[in-house]
Amino acid sequence: MTLKLQISYVINQSWELHVLCDLSGFNPPEVAFGTYKQVINRWDAEKPISFISSRGIVMSIKEQIKSILQEAEIYRTQGLLNEAMIKYKNAAELVEKNIKQENRQSLVDGITKKIELLKKTILKYNDPEKPPEMPVEIQNLIKDKFAFSADKESAGLEGAIALSKFGQFERAITEFSELLKNDSLRLVAAKNILRCFFATSSVDGALSQYEQWLKSGIFHEGQIKKIRFFLENLLKDKGIERKLPLADIPEVKAVPEKAIFEKKSMADIPEQEEVEEDDEFLDINSVGITITDGPQKGKEVVLDVTFQSGKSVSLIVPGREKILIEKFKVGLKLDNVQFYSPIAMLNGSGVISAFTKISSGPKMGSYSLDLKIST
Amino acid sequence: MAIFNLKSREIECKIVYYGPGRSGKTTNLEYIFKTYKKQVTDQLVSIDTEGDRTLFFDFLPMGLGKIRGCDIRVQLYTVPGQVQYSSTRKLVLKGADGIVFVADSFAIRRDKNILSLKDLDLNLKECGLNIFKIPLVLQYNKRDMSSMADGSIPIMSVETMQNDLNRQLKVPYFPGSALTGEGVGRTLIESLKLTLIQLQKELKWAQK
Repeated sequence: MTLKLQISYVINQSWELHVLCDLSGFNPPEVAFGTYKQVINRWDAEKPISFISSRGIVMSIKEQIKSILQEAEIYRTQGLLNEAMIKYKNAAELVEKNIKQENRQSLVDGITKKIELLKKTILKYNDPEKPPEMPVEIQNLIKDKFAFSADKESAGLEGAIALSKFGQFERAITEFSELLKNDSLRLVAAKNILRCFFATSSVDGALSQYEQWLKSGIFHEGQIKKIRFFLENLLKDKGIERKLPLADIPEVKAVPEKAIFEKKSMADIPEQEEVEEDDEFLDINSVGITITDGPQKGKEVVLDVTFQSGKSVSLIVPGREKILIEKFKVGLKLDNVQFYSPIAMLNGSGVISAFTKISSGPKMGSYSLDLKIST
Repeated sequence: MAIFNLKSREIECKIVYYGPGRSGKTTNLEYIFKTYKKQVTDQLVSIDTEGDRTLFFDFLPMGLGKIRGCDIRVQLYTVPGQVQYSSTRKLVLKGADGIVFVADSFAIRRDKNILSLKDLDLNLKECGLNIFKIPLVLQYNKRDMSSMADGSIPIMSVETMQNDLNRQLKVPYFPGSALTGEGVGRTLIESLKLTLIQLQKELKWAQK
């Protein structure tokens, strides 16, 4: 029998470096990359009697199995379930290949039980149920801390949207319903209410809410058309083809509406001709403008959006961005502009509609720029 | 985005603990809550699931008292690290003034650290922020684990982690153990220092 020593170094989850040394000195060392299983299969004919682990400790097979099981257990207690699973499987393979049959079964059974338990837990975490309803204090915290606008109306809308994003749909519906009292937010609030009903799989709730709005007369004709179109598309997403009724609503003067923080699925819904294009543009957080000439050519300057109304965004250009300030003027078209929204990055262009120097306050010396997105 | 009240000379800033799932972000906040009782102004709000995984975020408000004539209030947040909570992470990151990136020292989590740092970079961009400009501190957590299981748990060396995560960023870093508290305070203090310096540049809050 030849005396062999295997030295293994774990590179990452799937790659290990293995060196098999023949201690008798008759053969040169063999080097192999791969998982333990792959390598051990290759070297199956003459199994090594000892290992050196990645920490440099010489171990017998039994010690190595024990060490791997300890490692797996630590990962499991740390909540690193997938990593624990890999280690348990490694240990099971080692047992299968190296332990005599009479001693093997109880060990394999023990490891298999652990693996099964882990599988169940992993499945549970990977397929979480809908987020739990939080206590009112937590909901208030979400509403308060995830509303960033200074003005009360926009902050109210942001707070309600945050509640819905955290899965607090019932409370979100209550908050959006409050916003229905506000002319400028009514349409946005209504759409979000419908979205919340759909998120809780309450199609009936959404339909009954729509009927209630038809009767209440709080929306003017243009608005109700938009809501109907929006709801019909939500239904279509669910595979429900349905033509919704329109009531005889007296024409009321339209009020400008704010752009909203859209969920991706709804942002993908095509606009109907009669829907004003400004209504449904993504919430833009910042805008990246690329310098097109001079020594800084190619550099992207990212500017924060301070206000957005549909496709118009207001930006602050810091006084230090001299290259941009010298170039910017009303009417200038900017190409290759990056629009960063919470759900996507868009490339497009825009036209400067206003550009003024800020003469007081903490932003004094910077410039306020209004950009009309033309993409 | 920090709020600076000129009239009352109060500043409120936000520091977000970011990092892969199970790297120890919540444990950092728990240690801070236990240890810095004088500075902590309210309860630690922690929303987790059955398996102790952060579901939404953790929130810990702190008051640092008056610094250069300004009352400093800090809000510490953690993001959920699991990949599936991407939209929640973005929401929590919004308005951050400083970031603490908590990396896992387990060798087996090497890829996850790198992916999470890339995710941070992308999400910061979407928030209009730049990873090279925002005050950022790295913490190499779980250094104490090297002594577990007779030392058979593969832990990355600090050099390896520096090479993986901090080669380009070149930001302050601290080896630590959120469980024992080692490095937790130093990480927080460095993050606060960098954040307040940055806010001074932007808001000129400090009185001479």
